[in-house]
Amino acid sequence: MNEQLRAISELDRVIHEPGRLMIVALLAVVKECDFLYLLHETEMSNGNLSTHLTRLEEAGYVEIEKTYRGKVPMTLLRLTRAGRAAFEDYRKALKAAFLTARSVP
Amino acid sequence: MDRPRRYENVDGTGEMAMGVMMLSFALVGYLSSVLPEGALWRKNGLATFEILPIIFIPIWAFQHWGVKAIKRHFTWPRTGYVAYRRGGKFWWKAAVVCFAGVVLGAGGVCLTVLARRFHAMSLERAVYLAILLAAYAFSVLRSGTEHAWKGLVVIFMALGLIAIALVVPGDAVQLFPPVALFLGLVWLGSGVATLYLYIRHTQPRAPEAE
Repeated sequence: MNEQLRAISELDRVIHEPGRLMIVALLAVVKECDFLYLLHETEMSNGNLSTHLTRLEEAGYVEIEKTYRGKVPMTLLRLTRAGRAAFEDYRKALKAAFLTARSVP
Repeated sequence: MDRPRRYENVDGTGEMAMGVMMLSFALVGYLSSVLPEGALWRKNGLATFEILPIIFIPIWAFQHWGVKAIKRHFTWPRTGYVAYRRGGKFWWKAAVVCFAGVVLGAGGVCLTVLARRFHAMSLERAVYLAILLAAYAFSVLRSGTEHAWKGLVVIFMALGLIAIALVVPGDAVQLFPPVALFLGLVWLGSGVATLYLYIRHTQPRAPEAE
């Protein structure tokens, strides 16, 4: 196994988990969204989504803002600059690893 | 990941906006045909700066109040709120779209001039109608397979455009008002049907602990 392929083991594990990867991939293409949108798109349970978001917030990848629309409480979510950079690095690392794996005889 | 982009029209507001735009064009075409020959708006044919507010005010009003009201009352409580990124890529894409618009417009003028020179009006009309149909078909393809019935709308639109082309005489300018009216109604109808199905198949969520 060469060095580049070994890079798979060094992928960012916070993002690499499938549930969190879904969340980060969705947040990467929007400016911000609310909790309900992520719930609808990922089809996770409230608790599961909340746990993943907390983990991403602890890593500094996601910003969570509790606000109101009229009288209805709303949780706004957006990717931080660090989160966006981490996702971009993750995407590049994974792509490089796949390209390497394809070239291995 | 173009899923959030498709989400923009999950409630049919994109199609409704297109419908309102086409109906505005139809109104302008109608006004041009009923106003006296010497009226200010008829000096340069269909498109003069004086009539641009008639096109843009309904579109702006629908985008500003109509779309926001639909999103606020139906979409956001059901499937959530999304704000789209308007970063560097957005302006780059907008520039490409503007450039493509200018190229298409110039192509249209060339087509009209050539068609008039060689008396090939039917070709000119067919090209214009094909472009309008392709625009809707592209938007249907882009929305994915969620609404298979929109394929039938494309077929209905094609048949309607062919029928209008056969019945209405004259060049593309004379053909435009009935075509705009037909397309506006179809687009608006398709948008309303999408909204109806969206409301019917998605229930608002009760506020829960997040």
